[in-house]
Amino acid sequence: MTVHSASRRRLRIVAAWSVVALFVFPLYYWITTAFKNARDIFDQPPSVWAFDPTLKNFEEVFGISLGFLRQQEVLPGGGNFYMAPRLWDSIVVAFGSTVLSVTLATLAAYALSRFPFRGRHAFVAWVLSTRMMPPVAVAIPLFFIYKDVGLLDTYAGVILIHAVMNLPLAVLLMKSFFDDVPKEIDESAIIDGASRWLIFRRVVLPMAKGGIAATAVLCFIFSWTEFVFVLTLTQTGLKTVPVVSSSFVTSTGTAWGNMAALGVAAMVPAFVFILLVQKQLVRGLTLGSLKQ
Amino acid sequence: MATVEYRNITKRFESFEVMRDLSLSIADGEFAVLLGASGCGKTTLLRMTAGLETVTAGDLLIDGLRVNEVPPRDRDIAMVFQNYALYPTMTVAENIAFSLEIRRVPKAERRRRAEEAAALVGLGEHLARYPRELSGGQRQRVAMARAMVREAKVFLFDEPLSNLDAKLRAQMRFEIRQLHDRLGTTTIYVTHDQIEAMTMADKIVLMRGGTIEQVGTPDELYDRPVSRFAADFIGSPAMNFVEGTVEANGNAPAFVAEGIHLALPVSLTVAPGSPVVCGIRPPDLVLNADGSIEGRLVLAEKTGPDVQLHLSVAGQDFIATASRDAAVEAGGLVRLSVAPDKLHLFDPQSGRRL
Repeated sequence: MTVHSASRRRLRIVAAWSVVALFVFPLYYWITTAFKNARDIFDQPPSVWAFDPTLKNFEEVFGISLGFLRQQEVLPGGGNFYMAPRLWDSIVVAFGSTVLSVTLATLAAYALSRFPFRGRHAFVAWVLSTRMMPPVAVAIPLFFIYKDVGLLDTYAGVILIHAVMNLPLAVLLMKSFFDDVPKEIDESAIIDGASRWLIFRRVVLPMAKGGIAATAVLCFIFSWTEFVFVLTLTQTGLKTVPVVSSSFVTSTGTAWGNMAALGVAAMVPAFVFILLVQKQLVRGLTLGSLKQ
Repeated sequence: MATVEYRNITKRFESFEVMRDLSLSIADGEFAVLLGASGCGKTTLLRMTAGLETVTAGDLLIDGLRVNEVPPRDRDIAMVFQNYALYPTMTVAENIAFSLEIRRVPKAERRRRAEEAAALVGLGEHLARYPRELSGGQRQRVAMARAMVREAKVFLFDEPLSNLDAKLRAQMRFEIRQLHDRLGTTTIYVTHDQIEAMTMADKIVLMRGGTIEQVGTPDELYDRPVSRFAADFIGSPAMNFVEGTVEANGNAPAFVAEGIHLALPVSLTVAPGSPVVCGIRPPDLVLNADGSIEGRLVLAEKTGPDVQLHLSVAGQDFIATASRDAAVEAGGLVRLSVAPDKLHLFDPQSGRRL
């Protein structure tokens, strides 16, 4: 390798790291904010590296004491003003709605991909069109419907609406993955004597694992970050992270430290989930069954 | 083992007719090749046989039984696809034994039969591998083993060699034919490659536009093509065609075109003066100092064992196959002759053989 190309290589590495830094810095700043005292948070100029780390924000947010024998501090306003937000609610809702929508979407998508029927294309377009409706437009009517059927303020209610919101995209995404599985593989199994269900379960589904993982990640993240429906359809029974986060903005100021602490904690389950499905995500789809 | 019979088969996709009133019968143990250009209906016919396409009208019989409405799984056929269509998430052994597993064959027997089939195609030591770990030729062999393990009545091959390189294709041609000779299973093989058809078939079914152009042994198709289309499709390099007329000199008929005068067999029944198209296969054009055809050599293409002479005869392009030691030079004049019985005459309008 020549000197010239070596220096170019170095330049490229510097450029790559700069881009990484650009994306990682906000995350870094957010995470460090979670460990800062209010004074450090509002420092001018902002203290990026040097500050006194504290777990105070986490303790307040989760209503528990993390330090050694440290007393839980009483917040201004008296008592534990920020009730322990139930991170658990978010996990249940996101996990539940992901399982529900991925299951339904996978079945629907396989059918759409394999069985020709009159108006199939129109059907696919119609499926997508339901996603174009802004959530705010249906939130209020839905509130009354939920109230009547008793789904208001329940896990089932929130899981259901999140799954429904995710379905169109999940169906289309899964359909594209199934479309990528050559239909000759189905036909080969048909001739081998397999029923449609067996083909789906034993042959096609294992090939679409990568697609299922990708779809699941998408559904999970949507549910994890969804705000409007949780805000309108829940009261005290459950609250997910985005809605709890919004309650940190108060008339007496914004509790940045608490908000950051909750945000950081909320990153963990989503991160773990993506880590779990990552292996499937990067797997090749057809795995060399066919000559490309 | 079984016979396959097509009686007046018509196939329509929506309102588009791709096959009309096609009848054909394939004998027990026969290796039949459906040959034709893309879109001629050969794959559709194969897929109807498999039960992957419905038959619009007519009867399809396997082993004497009408199977139009019988689902694929109950037709007792096995099929090899162009892109192999192996199950990527299963090992070679699982791929081969999948059909047995569905039929609830006991595990021990499943394994034994899978091993047998794998050994038959030379994959004995690859049973635990996944398709992605195999080469194209090996994948094709897995597909064949998968078909054979079933001991089906009929094997269907849909252009199984198109994705392989030339050398492997020649070898697999040989292997498939050898397997057929050993197993004796009725086989229907679809291809657009006339060499595959010529080398493998007991019976070639040449198709064109959803109908059968000609059915016969490879020799019959080569020696007595029923039409100009059939003559042109079979043989490489392709047959030379010249337009001209038939003239009668007493009782010695001759084909006459510009710069060409060829004696025809006496038995010919074409009326003198009729316009005809004369076809001559390149190997039938023989270098002969007394020959009646004179051509200028444009290019001599060496293929190894012989040489293809590209000639210009009275402004028309001709190809002749000569032995490699033929004394010819580019730009020079050569004389050629053709035995009368090697001439093929076709009607210029209908293209039918005269």
